[in-house]
Amino acid sequence: MGWRLYAVGGSDQALSDRPARRRLLPPLWPRSLPGQITLLAAIALFGAQAINFTLLLRERQQSRLGQVIFPAATRVTDSVDRLKTGVALDKRSNITLSDTNPIDPSLRRQPEVEEGIRRLLRESNIPVRAVVTGLHPASPDDPALDKFGPVMAERIRRIRRYGVELRIAVDLPGRGWLTLSAPWPRTEQFVVWQLLGQTAVLYIVVLIPLLWSGYRIALPLRNLANATRRFQPGTPAAPVDERGPRDVRAVIAAYNSLSLRVNAMIDEKDQMLAAIGHDLRTPLAALRVRIESVEDDVDRARMADVIDEMNRTLEDILSLARVGRPSEPLTDTDLAALVDAVVEDFRDLDHDVTFEETARLTMRLRPALMRRAIRNLIENAVKYAGAAEVRIVPGARNIAIEVADRGPGIPQESLDKVFDPFMRLESSRNRDTGGLGLGLALSRAIVSEANGEIKLENRPGGGLLARIVLPRAT
Amino acid sequence: MEMTAETPHLLLVDDERSIREPLAQYLVKQGFRVTQAGDAEAARARLNAYSIDLVILDIMMPGEDGLSLCRHIRETSETPVILLTARSEETDRIVGLEMGADDYVVKPFSPRELAARVKVVLRRLIAGGTRQHAPETGSFAFAGWVLKTGERTLVDREGVSVPLSTGEFNLLHTLVTRPRQVLTRDQLLDLTQGREAAAFDRAIDNQVSRLRKKIEPDHKNPTIIKTVWGGGYTLSAEVTRL
Repeated sequence: MGWRLYAVGGSDQALSDRPARRRLLPPLWPRSLPGQITLLAAIALFGAQAINFTLLLRERQQSRLGQVIFPAATRVTDSVDRLKTGVALDKRSNITLSDTNPIDPSLRRQPEVEEGIRRLLRESNIPVRAVVTGLHPASPDDPALDKFGPVMAERIRRIRRYGVELRIAVDLPGRGWLTLSAPWPRTEQFVVWQLLGQTAVLYIVVLIPLLWSGYRIALPLRNLANATRRFQPGTPAAPVDERGPRDVRAVIAAYNSLSLRVNAMIDEKDQMLAAIGHDLRTPLAALRVRIESVEDDVDRARMADVIDEMNRTLEDILSLARVGRPSEPLTDTDLAALVDAVVEDFRDLDHDVTFEETARLTMRLRPALMRRAIRNLIENAVKYAGAAEVRIVPGARNIAIEVADRGPGIPQESLDKVFDPFMRLESSRNRDTGGLGLGLALSRAIVSEANGEIKLENRPGGGLLARIVLPRAT
Repeated sequence: MEMTAETPHLLLVDDERSIREPLAQYLVKQGFRVTQAGDAEAARARLNAYSIDLVILDIMMPGEDGLSLCRHIRETSETPVILLTARSEETDRIVGLEMGADDYVVKPFSPRELAARVKVVLRRLIAGGTRQHAPETGSFAFAGWVLKTGERTLVDREGVSVPLSTGEFNLLHTLVTRPRQVLTRDQLLDLTQGREAAAFDRAIDNQVSRLRKKIEPDHKNPTIIKTVWGGGYTLSAEVTRL
């Protein structure tokens, strides 16, 4: 039959919280689109900056070496010349001569400088036994500086503010250690600060617009996602605002027209169902009237039963097709009284259905639909087992309604299949007029619509247990 | 029923000939005089032309539908109406009763049952002189509860609806529409046996005790549904029609 097309199948995952696909990301990793774009841009910018500055640093270091090595070598050469000619060392040049290595061995040495000076002195044909350097931290406020005279002291102070002092000692064979000082700018530190400063400026200039444009894309997308989540087939909703960049607007426009088309299709389906319903009900009703002229009472009763059965199936089909867009509003309802009322209706018809009375249990649901879902389960049990035991099991988060019987049960491998509309079981539960019919499919569709789920299991010792689980808060 | 001048004259309004004609034949066989109408317009004409005792009216008709015609009949005359309805899906709500119909049968109905309903309504009419105007409709407030007949629901002070079984609903409905009247078990059985007769085979006492558990503050000392000495029950609360 083509009916299946219109059956609203309930989703099996209704209850299970969809676990967000979490990859192994650090906890602060942004999950939003603008956050991720911005973070990536930030990392990329920082990487580019770091490469730039590494290059810059190397260049700076090279030029610093030049700035230190050449003047120092010149001054040594000059002093050696003075020593050769017997002229006293220039006091102002701050060069001293001593017998031992005056540089504290704990100071950090600069091998490139030592090597450079040695090479230059060798080129000037000045014999050198050793060149030793040491970075000497110096305070610009050292009062000892005053002995150099105001001009020199000021210069040294400036150097010291700028960086540290590099002491260079040259061991001249036969003359002793010639010691001089050179300014040693703290290039590395400076460059790091420069890197940070520039990066900060870049971040402000690049990342803020990026974040803004990211939000411009993400916000309409988020609205779209919310609208899609809220979409109730058949309920006309206001179209989503077409905002953001053109691509995003196009997606939103596509969604809007899709939802219109879906609703149009559903309207069409409803009209068709109403027409089918009417067109089938009318001949059934006519037939029901006509069989009254059948003389044989037994025959007539059988015909009436068949017509009733056909009518029930028709109603089930129509209901199943409409479960997705119920017209009945959500109502605060005492679930215990609801189950009790359904059970009582069965007992009124002399069916053996028991119910353990349960304290009041207020739930927000669609009472007539829920009654129907529960009624179908009990009807099934009564039909195949002749009796049913019904109880409510309240839990902290869920409430279970259990319908148990001692009938033939359902083969384990068919337990899920029985929810399919028009499912027929070849074995234990078969009905002369139409398999299990739509009862279970309808129950499941109703329960799924209420965000619950329905499960069947075979009971130990025989029989079937049907359990409706409803979340406490929907 | 004898074919005399007293023969009740029924107007059967249904657009479906396949239902209308055999049904008319059946009702004639049951001793009624039957006039047929295929739409609301024809029905209005017949209503003016004849003295009709009861109208059997299909709700779903092209053009002016049965509900609208029912409203018209209710506004202009005291003629009782029985509606032919399709069961409304999803709710047990019976729209027609709010339009002032006296009873309804759900398609596909047994003509036998329809004939029985017709007789009940006519008998009630003769017994009561005038028909009770739409006795079954609307909502009734009593003792902090509201019984909504359209939705067949009982609603408590907090607005939580407390579903009733069909039997409980019919019994409570009967009591609420006759406050402070003493009703014997036989009367209650008779009054609640309007429809789905099988549902009322169980003893009235049982239904009363179930209802008390649901609505009485203390069901061992009932204050709303009281037992009357000598057999019978009465609803002792003040009832307000909403």
